[in-house]
Amino acid sequence: MKIPYADIVKYIPEIPSIDAISEKLFQLGHEHEVEKSIFNIEFTPNRGDCLSLIGILRDLALFYEIKKDFPIFPDKLEKLNLNFIDNTDNTCTFITFLKIDIDDKILDYKDCLKSYYEQTDNLKNNFFTDISNYISYETGQPTHCYDAKAVGGKISLDLEKGKHNFQTLLDENVELFGSNLVFKKDNEIINLAGIMGGKSTSCSENTRSVLIECASFNPEAIVGNAIKYNLKSDAAHKFERGVDPCCHDFVLRRFLKLVHDHANVKNVQIFTKGNSAYKQTNIKYDIDKISKIIGIKPSEELFSKSLTKLGFKIDKKLIHVPSYRNDIKTLNDIAEEIARAIGYDSIKSIPISIHSNSNQSKNLNQNFLRDYLISKGFFEVINNPFVDYCNEYSIEIDNPLDIKSGYLRTNLQQSLIKNLLYNERRQKDSIKIFEISDIYQIRNNEVFNEKVLALIVSGRVGKNYLDFSKIVDNDYINDLFKDILPIENIKVKNILREDLDTKLKNKIYYCEIPMNDINIENDLVLKNENKEFLKIKYVPISEFPSSNRDLSFSVKNKSKFKDLENFILSYKHDFIKEVFVFDFFDNKKNNEIKIGFRFIFQSGTSTLTDIEINNVMKVIIEKSITIDGVSVPGYEV
Amino acid sequence: MSSSTKANLPKIIHEKGAYHPINQMRDLIIDLLIDLGFEEIDGPEIETEEFNFDMLNIKKSHPARQMHDTFYVNSKSNVLRTHTSPVQIRGMLKNNPPFGLISGGKVYRKDDDATHLPMFHQVEGIYVDKDVNFANLKYLIHKIVYSLFGDGVKLRFRPSYFPFTEPSAEVDILSNEGKWLEILGCGIVNPIVLENCKIDSTKYSGFAFGLGVERIAMLLNGVNDIREFYKSNLDFLKQFK
Repeated sequence: MKIPYADIVKYIPEIPSIDAISEKLFQLGHEHEVEKSIFNIEFTPNRGDCLSLIGILRDLALFYEIKKDFPIFPDKLEKLNLNFIDNTDNTCTFITFLKIDIDDKILDYKDCLKSYYEQTDNLKNNFFTDISNYISYETGQPTHCYDAKAVGGKISLDLEKGKHNFQTLLDENVELFGSNLVFKKDNEIINLAGIMGGKSTSCSENTRSVLIECASFNPEAIVGNAIKYNLKSDAAHKFERGVDPCCHDFVLRRFLKLVHDHANVKNVQIFTKGNSAYKQTNIKYDIDKISKIIGIKPSEELFSKSLTKLGFKIDKKLIHVPSYRNDIKTLNDIAEEIARAIGYDSIKSIPISIHSNSNQSKNLNQNFLRDYLISKGFFEVINNPFVDYCNEYSIEIDNPLDIKSGYLRTNLQQSLIKNLLYNERRQKDSIKIFEISDIYQIRNNEVFNEKVLALIVSGRVGKNYLDFSKIVDNDYINDLFKDILPIENIKVKNILREDLDTKLKNKIYYCEIPMNDINIENDLVLKNENKEFLKIKYVPISEFPSSNRDLSFSVKNKSKFKDLENFILSYKHDFIKEVFVFDFFDNKKNNEIKIGFRFIFQSGTSTLTDIEINNVMKVIIEKSITIDGVSVPGYEV
Repeated sequence: MSSSTKANLPKIIHEKGAYHPINQMRDLIIDLLIDLGFEEIDGPEIETEEFNFDMLNIKKSHPARQMHDTFYVNSKSNVLRTHTSPVQIRGMLKNNPPFGLISGGKVYRKDDDATHLPMFHQVEGIYVDKDVNFANLKYLIHKIVYSLFGDGVKLRFRPSYFPFTEPSAEVDILSNEGKWLEILGCGIVNPIVLENCKIDSTKYSGFAFGLGVERIAMLLNGVNDIREFYKSNLDFLKQFK
C-alpha cells in the first residue's frame, strides 16, 4: 500500500522525519520501501486494519501523539426505505446503504481529495467513485457506489452458483463460475460482492443520485475470487483480510462530509442491517503470562500505556480489544503488541540448552551412498517431481502449473535422462549423475511415497589417461556397487537412444534402487564435514560453446617429462577452462615418452575463433619445446 | 612399481563429483542444529490438509490454501506440503515435552519465476519445554545465524505473521552493500497449535523457526537466479565440490 509521507505527518504535530517514521514502521513489523517520499508498505495478512491512512496512524500512535482530524457530517440521518434482502447464510455481518442526492454543480477537488489525486498515481474516475476510493484509502473501508436511478429500490445479496456473464464497471467481461457472492437487482447480477461492481449500475460523471454500499463481509465469502477472475481489486484485498465491523457510521459520515465539501446535498438517507450484534474480544489481563512469553517483564506502566495508545481499553481484569483488531484473540497476541512496543531488538537474549533423544542424522545410508558416489566422480542432482506422463499408479495434480506438469513421477528415469541430454548438448562426453528422491504412487486410493537412488551414466569412464578410452557399460555399474550392495538389488537398464532427441551414439545406462533395499554397515559411515562449502563463491557459467584441442608431445629426455607435465597442467589462460592428460605411452625400446594433453577452451564473453585458440596453443607449444628433449611431432618452428 | 618408474608416469587424477549445493546447505544446517541438541525427524511430502493447514492454525480463508498457491493432488484429497511444519506436527503428536525437533526437505508452492520455484527446500525446528520464551528464541537464532554468516554479521528481528507462531518474527542480516536481507522466520509456538497436538499450553511453551535453504545458499554462495540450482548443469555443480 502506498502512503505519502506528507499524509502521515499532517496528523503528527511532532513532524518526524521520513527516516524516523521508517524506523518505527520496521519496529512495528511493517516492511516497506520509500520512493519519492511515499511509503510503499507491505502489511502482513493479519493486519487488514492497517490498510489505510487511519490504520497506519493508529499503529504509529504507539510512538507519536496523533491529531485525529477527520471531520464528519454530524447531523442526524433520515431512514432510507430500501427493499434489501440478504439471501445468504451469514456472509455479511453488517451492511449499510447511504443514498445521497446532490445538485448538478460539483466543485474542483480540494484539501485531502485534491492531494490524494495529485500526490499518488491514483486516476480520477467520477465524483462519487473518486470519493469512495479516497475513503477506502483514508479509513480502510471499501464502499461501492451505485447510480441510485439504475438500481431502483430493490436489491438482494445472493450466493449465486453456476455460470453467469458479468460486465464489470471497468468494462471487462467475466464469466462467473462456481459459487459467487453477488448483489442482484431482480435477476441481474449488478455487483460481484466485495470485489468489483457491474457496468449497468455504475456511477458516471452525470450521476447525481448515489446509493453507497458499506458492508462487512465474512472474509471466507470473498477470498480467492478476485484472483479466480484475474481482477485487480483493492476492496477484495481488504475484505479478505477483514474490515472493522463497527466503522460504518464514521465512514459514511466522512463520505458525506466530503460530498458536502464539494457539492450541494439535497437529500440524504441511511439504511442499516446487521445479522448479529458485534461481540467485542476481551482477554484476561495477565502481565506475568506476557512476561513468560516474551522473556522480560514489562512494567505495568509500559504495558498499560502501550495498549491504550493502540486503542485497547484496560480495566482491572480484562483487556478490551478494539473492533478493528480482528487479529487479536489471545494473550500471545497481546504479548506481540507489547514486544513490538518494546522493540524486538531491545529484548535481550536468554541462553537455553536443548536436549533431545538422538543427536545423529537419520539418513546414514543415504549420506554414505552420496559420499561414495561422489568419490567415484558422480554429480548429485535434484529434479522437481512434476512430469507430463502417467501410468496406472500415477498421482494427478489437480491444479498443475502447466500441461507438462500434470503428474507426480513414479520413477526418476525421465528426469535423469533429461539431465543427461542437457549436459550432452553442452559438449560433456563423460556424464555420471545420481539423484536420491521420493517417488509417488497411488494404489487402491492410498498414496505411497518411497525414497529411491537412481543413477545414469554415459560416455567415458574418466578423464585420466587410464580411463579416457574406456566407455561406461553394464559392468561399470555392477563393479561400482559390488562391494556395498547385494548384486540382486542392482538392475541396470540400457536406455535406447532411438527414442531420445539426440544424435550421439554412446550407450546410456540407468539404475534405480529403493533406499529400503540398501543397508550400509554402520562402520562405513563417515560424517561429511562440509564447512568449507560456506566459502564457495559461484562464478557464472559461460553460455558460449567450448572447443577442444589435443596436443601430443614426444619426450626423449625422460628426466624432463615431469617438467613438461607440470608446465602444461599449471598453464593459466582466460580461454583455457580445463586441461588434462588423456594419453600416455612409455616406449622403453626407443627410450621415449609420448604424452597427449586435451585442452578445453571456452570464453565467458564470446564464441572463440580458431585463430584465437591457435594463438594460445602456439604459445604453449613454443614454451614447451624449450624444455630439453621435448618436441611436438610434425610441428615446425 | 618402483618409485623411479612412478616418477615417469603422469599423475592419475580420479576426478571427484559433487554434492548438490542445496543438499550440502541443508546437511550443513541440519548438522549445525543437531550439534545444538536437536533431533532430526522426517515426514511425507504428500500431506493431508489437516496436517499441512488445520493443525497449524491456518484457517480455511487463508490465501495460502487457495488453488493458486497450493498444489492439490488426488482429487483435492491431499496437498503437496507447502512447508516442513506438518513434520513438526507429527513430531509433536509422537513426543512428550521437552523435545527439540528439526526436519528438512522439499516443499511445494505454485510459483515459478526468477526468485520462486514450485519446489524448494526448508529446514524447520521446534523446541517445547516449560517456560520457553522469545528471549530464548533470540539466543538460538543468533547462534544459527553466526554459524552460517560469521560472528560479525549484524542482524535484526522484525515483527511478522505466521498463523502457527505468536509472537512471530522475521530475521534480516545486513549485507556488505548495506542492505537488509531476510533470512528466516520464527516465533513462539501458538498455544492453539500446542493444544491441537495435545500439549497442555498452560504448562508448556515453545519456539519454532524455519529457513529457506535456497535463500541461504543464494546469499552465501552468490547465486543470483534460483533456477540455476535445478538445471543439473555439471559446470554449475562442479563449482560446489
